[in-house]
Amino acid sequence: MIEVEELHKTYRGGRGLRGFSFLLESNELVGLVGPNGAGKTTLIKILATLIPATSGKARVGGHDVAADPRSVRAVVGYLPDIAGIYQDLRVREFLEFFADAFRLKEPKRSAAIQRALELSGLQDRTDEYVENLSLGWKQRLLLAKTLLHEPKVLLLDEPATGLDPLARISLREQLKRLHSDGVAILISSHILTDLEDMCTRILFIADGKNVSEPSAQALPAGTTEARIHCEIGFQGSPELADQAVGNIPGARVLERKDGFLLVEIPGGAAEASALLRAIVNSGMVVEHFDARGPGLEERYRRAFGERLS
Amino acid sequence: MRRFITNPMINKELRQRLRERRAWLLPTLYLLILSGTVSFAYYLTTEAEMRSQREVQGADIGLAIFFTVVFTQIIALLLMAPVFSAGSITIEKEQRTLTGLLTSLLSVTQIWWGKFVTALLYLLLLLLSALPMLALSFAFGGVEPLQLIRATGSTVLVLAAICCVGLWCSATFRRSIHSTAACYGIVLVLSVVTAVVFGILVSHWSSNHLLLRSEGPPAYVQAPMFLNPLYPLLSMVDDAEFGQFVYPTSSWMLFTAMGCLAAAFAMRRLKRGGDQL
Repeated sequence: MIEVEELHKTYRGGRGLRGFSFLLESNELVGLVGPNGAGKTTLIKILATLIPATSGKARVGGHDVAADPRSVRAVVGYLPDIAGIYQDLRVREFLEFFADAFRLKEPKRSAAIQRALELSGLQDRTDEYVENLSLGWKQRLLLAKTLLHEPKVLLLDEPATGLDPLARISLREQLKRLHSDGVAILISSHILTDLEDMCTRILFIADGKNVSEPSAQALPAGTTEARIHCEIGFQGSPELADQAVGNIPGARVLERKDGFLLVEIPGGAAEASALLRAIVNSGMVVEHFDARGPGLEERYRRAFGERLS
Repeated sequence: MRRFITNPMINKELRQRLRERRAWLLPTLYLLILSGTVSFAYYLTTEAEMRSQREVQGADIGLAIFFTVVFTQIIALLLMAPVFSAGSITIEKEQRTLTGLLTSLLSVTQIWWGKFVTALLYLLLLLLSALPMLALSFAFGGVEPLQLIRATGSTVLVLAAICCVGLWCSATFRRSIHSTAACYGIVLVLSVVTAVVFGILVSHWSSNHLLLRSEGPPAYVQAPMFLNPLYPLLSMVDDAEFGQFVYPTSSWMLFTAMGCLAAAFAMRRLKRGGDQL
């Protein structure tokens, strides 16, 4: 859905993009992560046809952003980090204006506005002035406006900025729903827990370039060893379970309840599989096994640790 | 063509503009100023004619009212045009709403057209509201309908050109205060500097052409005045002093060209508007 190849953007100040490339498939919800000034906003602005790239290729929904910006806009929904909103319009007027701006004709127009009102939860406040809405409601209205023309791709630049926890949760749920409806989403955010919860993949960017994640085996000296947490629900003797865990070098039990163990093991998926094998071989019945790799914070530290220090 | 008439920008802009407090405050102020100047012109004309012990002629009063209204309104509207045009795109930048427009399916031309029509429509509303006062001059006589059409047409043309210049400033600058100041600067140059340059040229010319003085300065001496917003109206005054201004067409053409150029530059700047966001 999005193809970016060796994208460069040069500003007078020097920052921008320096050969960033990536591919986003239609069924993906990809998080874009990097330090401030890494080029996240520049990349999203180029994809949204707001600024031209200095060189390189960018295609969205099969359309070239430089050669055919109009077609790109028709398939893209873009929500910037600090999105402006017409405070002196009523909620319905605001949506009607953007429905017209996206050339929606009746009856599609009315249906889109109704859908947007339902999506934002503002059906009962259509005559209220936008300026009277709280920040959370405004953000919901903005997202609803972004979705009016049913875009195939969503570009979101720090959409949770300034939102309270409840509004953030609501936004996250909305994005998950949109993703399950088949909308491809590229989201830039500094809130790693949110990204971890909803993204199917994370892209790291720094200094306008792709940053590859160092593998667990190639961790720099002094960096914490990668570990994985395994939740195990089982039927059988706890002693047997302990014994099985003991067979995995470096494993330690973090939590023990009736029929449940939380185990931390060094390494990655291979080590988690070895643990599962050991438990099954010990004759226990496994009801539930959930192995989670290193958290996004840990991965972020690995990718940008040296830069931060 | 239909796209420009049913432009959603126009609906939105008009709605927003008419919700502002100044939407009703300005016409009130404008009409008060006009009424004051018309009353003053009436008083001056009748007083002068009575003092010279002449019979007060209705046509003289009619003409005095007509030109007072025409000149007062163009000066007042020239002062207002930058307020309505020079801030209209910068406010979208300041409120960060321009992003939404530029990433929608609205073309840059539609965005510009919406802004232009709204700015001009408001000025036309003020112009229309002064029509009853202009009609007073018909009651007294001395004014032909063609003069009214010509004066109104010239005023609209000049205001449209100034609105285009204001929109160009608005597309170029990031802040309303800067674009409004720049637009006022341009209006000042057009109104005052052209007159000063013309004054210098005309004094230089008359000192060299004593015999030709009565015929008035030639076109090349008057050229700076073609860009003066008052020139098309001055050319209507049948007076010994102003009768020399006989090239209104040149002035109309220059204002049209200025407006078209400013519009083209504004749209070009808007296309690169993403850089300013």
